[in-house]
Amino acid sequence: MSPSGTAVDVAAPARLRPARARLWLRLQSRPAMGIFMCLPLILLIGGLVAYPFFYAIYLSMLNKRETAFIGLDNFRFLMTRDVFWQVAQTSFVFTFLAVLWKAILGFTLALVIHTVPTRGQRVWRGLSLIPWVMPLALSSLGWWWIYEPTHSALNWMLMLFGISPKPWLSDPFWAKFSVILVNIWYGTPFFMITYLAGLKSIPQELFESSDIDGASGFQRLRHITLPMLKNIIAITMLFSTIVTLATFDIVRVLTRGGPRQSTHMFGTYAFELGIASGDVPLGAAVSLFMFPILAVSAFFILRGIRRSTM
Amino acid sequence: MEQRTRREFLKTTTAGAAAVSVVGFPYVSRAQAKLTMGLWDHWVPGANDALKKIVDEWGKANKVEVSIDFITSIGNKLQLTGAAESRAGAGHDVMAFQTWDGTFYKDKLEPMSDVAEALIKKFGPFNENATYLNRQDGRWVTLPSPIGSHTYPLETRMDLVKKHAGVDVQDIFPPDVKKRNKQKVDAWDWKMFLAVAKKVHAAGFPIGCSIAENTDSNDWLGPLFATHGAFPMDDKGNITIDSPATLEAIEYLKEFVQYMPKDIYGWDDASNNRWLISGKGSAIFNPPSAWTVAKRDQPEVAAQVWHHDAPRGPKGRFRGSLPFTWGVWKFSKNKKPAKDLLLFLSERETQWKLITASQGYDYPQIVSFQDHPIWNEIGPPVGGQYNYPVRGDEKLIVAGWPAKPEFGAQIYSKWLLPTMVGKVTSGGMAPKDAVKWAAGELEGYKRG
Amino acid sequence: MTSPRRTRRNVTLLVCYGLIVLFMLFFLFPPYWMAITSFKTNQEIESLEGIPLIVQHGGTLKHYQDLFAKTDFLLYFRNSVFVTIPVVLLSMVISVLAAYALSRLGFAGAGLIGTAVFLVYLVPDSLLFIPLFKIIGALGLLNSKWSLLLVYPTAIVPFCTWLLIGYFASIPRELDEAALVDGASHAQMLVRIFLPVAVPGLIAATIFAFTVSWSGFLYPLAFIYSSHEQVLTAGTVTSLIKGDVYHWGGLMAGALLACLPPVLLYVFLMDYYISGLTAGSTKG
Repeated sequence: MSPSGTAVDVAAPARLRPARARLWLRLQSRPAMGIFMCLPLILLIGGLVAYPFFYAIYLSMLNKRETAFIGLDNFRFLMTRDVFWQVAQTSFVFTFLAVLWKAILGFTLALVIHTVPTRGQRVWRGLSLIPWVMPLALSSLGWWWIYEPTHSALNWMLMLFGISPKPWLSDPFWAKFSVILVNIWYGTPFFMITYLAGLKSIPQELFESSDIDGASGFQRLRHITLPMLKNIIAITMLFSTIVTLATFDIVRVLTRGGPRQSTHMFGTYAFELGIASGDVPLGAAVSLFMFPILAVSAFFILRGIRRSTM
Repeated sequence: MEQRTRREFLKTTTAGAAAVSVVGFPYVSRAQAKLTMGLWDHWVPGANDALKKIVDEWGKANKVEVSIDFITSIGNKLQLTGAAESRAGAGHDVMAFQTWDGTFYKDKLEPMSDVAEALIKKFGPFNENATYLNRQDGRWVTLPSPIGSHTYPLETRMDLVKKHAGVDVQDIFPPDVKKRNKQKVDAWDWKMFLAVAKKVHAAGFPIGCSIAENTDSNDWLGPLFATHGAFPMDDKGNITIDSPATLEAIEYLKEFVQYMPKDIYGWDDASNNRWLISGKGSAIFNPPSAWTVAKRDQPEVAAQVWHHDAPRGPKGRFRGSLPFTWGVWKFSKNKKPAKDLLLFLSERETQWKLITASQGYDYPQIVSFQDHPIWNEIGPPVGGQYNYPVRGDEKLIVAGWPAKPEFGAQIYSKWLLPTMVGKVTSGGMAPKDAVKWAAGELEGYKRG
Repeated sequence: MTSPRRTRRNVTLLVCYGLIVLFMLFFLFPPYWMAITSFKTNQEIESLEGIPLIVQHGGTLKHYQDLFAKTDFLLYFRNSVFVTIPVVLLSMVISVLAAYALSRLGFAGAGLIGTAVFLVYLVPDSLLFIPLFKIIGALGLLNSKWSLLLVYPTAIVPFCTWLLIGYFASIPRELDEAALVDGASHAQMLVRIFLPVAVPGLIAATIFAFTVSWSGFLYPLAFIYSSHEQVLTAGTVTSLIKGDVYHWGGLMAGALLACLPPVLLYVFLMDYYISGLTAGSTKG
């Protein structure tokens, strides 16, 4: 990620007058040009990410009517609410389970696609990405219809096998299951495609030499494949942790946090409090609870990337 | 000066649109004024168009260009819009609010006392429920809405209930209040309702009442608790939910839910409509919207739907309602045309047309308008909507009553009652713990 | 000697194909189900008889017709297009400039900016939307689709910049030096040399920008509440079907059509799409 640093002089066109040539030279110098070209980016990030972030911290310390500064009282209030702890628990459990399963399923599929003849791989790879490509809010609508109590296609299929129909969206346990399932459906393709690329980058010689030694498939997996992909696996899971924790679309469309707040995550609960109920400071406080996890994950990701660039 | 103008208007008006132009004063040599309205998207097919037509005619006669956004209440879209506009300080001139929501924004709304008092003077009082919701802090914060307000009687498949439970709701609640038999009506209480529920459930046509985060849930649970004498808060700000009456009501519900479909915990506001219309449901607490749509899509179901009173409890008979209130934002630049339009829409002639266009769904907020003939005439079954207006001893309330509006509004919009009940009946929580949880939530509502 | 090996290989393949089939069923069932529903008549959707997995009583295009004639679908579609095109252009310009600067113009602070960009990518919209709500409100852009023009790039630019840095960094320095010797300015170098060579990266970044912009849901839900300003995702979910009781056919039709642009883009530019997604994992 760090830019290269070769020192190359830029020759000013001879036809410019000396003074202007000096100015032109100055502007063409890398620092000036560099900052100039980065300016839009810096403005964007500064104004629309960094500033709002700090503004959120400030907002979270105001009272509901935003007329008085109340310090950490919103946070204290939240921590006395059962609902909040429920939201926190749901967020962490959801994230943990979803990321774990996405990684397992994504890796399995990548391995499987990698194993079949190369000609067909492109087709499977292409088809697998479709869940990822469909806008999540809209595919969630499709899932909502799949889960709809009276007409659920899933229940119909379950009943074919003699399994009783499930209350996908009206029971807290099944609602959590349903939401996690959609997240897994949506996110596994990303894991798959990343791992597949990783698999393809493992030098074939490693496998050939293990073949000569008579290694079995599992041994190959354990001793060559997984160690080689360790970094990628770690980084993808960390990225996914951040994105999954921030889940909004699926929950908002399928359950809107219900039944009885059992599927609320930080993002949707913040929306409920801040936008729907009009307590912006409280909503900001809820959102900010995501920050520690983000910070820790960011630290590990950065470290992981630095390591793999060395 | 505005008062006199409105009084003049009321004195001279007979037919609606043409007469308004008599009051030329505010609009003399005025260029085309514009008015935007954010209104509730009506359930009843055709009702939106009828309103739009009436408003367009008024607009033409008064040189006001009116544009209406019909906003759905599904997914709380209407509520979200109101919240967003109040914060943005920009939006529609006239905004519709559900039940209590006007309370949240009362400081940002233009007082409607002049319009309300003009109407009361001419046509008599608004009903108690509407007055309670709209009149706060000594002024009319919003105006009871000219359309859409409705109550929650039982919409019952009289054939199914008669056949499987042996109860003839048509007989208990005939299309003439004078023909009611007091004993039969008094016998219609929660015990009898439970007995009916058991039998129709056994026959495969359960009653369906939502216990989820939606208005339908508030609108039957609130009255149910009230009939037992259980209220979340009193009108002085005291938390009164922790009472034997509440526990009694919860125990009743614990038993009752066994005879309802399991998905009621995931229902939205349209689900109970779908339940009745599909032919599987034998009764729901709902205004006539389900009947109206069934008339179009499943007429054989519609022909058997009878609307009637809610069951009586130990402490009285209450019926739920969802009144709409309309407000004019203080930031609006078109307050005068807005108020004049609201006045026009609320007066008798227009109300007559609107109630007809809604096929009897719109429940007039002015008491004297409840003699509209539609509820006697519309059918099939003829007389089935007669008891949609309150004819008997029910008191119309909203969940959260009688708490102070700023608390009642939160009780309603944060779904306190359905959540508390759901924790017990679906989550298996002990009733005492659920009540304690609710009391804690109520404490939180008091936080500024 | 080869037989047992061949059998083992065949068994492996069988298992693999079996798993692939299962995955394909899992991934493709939802869009299939949405499509089937959108072509069924209302009666068939509502009825609980028969096999729901196929269209049994004659397909219909009615839902699609009603979509265009009786709902605000086309309005939402138009708004999405009006938002997406400027957002993509703006994001690409910012990203290209920044990527060039960070990958080629070594200057003090470049490393810092690079890391900052990366960190920013990690801050989710469900954290930023509340303060942004106030900021957008203060700018008077609440309930305007142009509010999205401001906030969508924040989600797009970091990733695209990072992606393009990777592509630019892989362009051989000899090209640079040759151009500089010829007296080219940085601007000329960027346009005449880098962009043409980095076309695959540009395409991948553009696709990413398009997809994020088209799929955005939280921001339009929070900032826009009128139908005439709303975009496709939030509009379809919250306002497409109003009031009436049976609406699944129309809703699925709307959802499917709204998914079409990113999916089509993907179908035609799949390889660029995938290379964009995997850019980070194989490069250091």
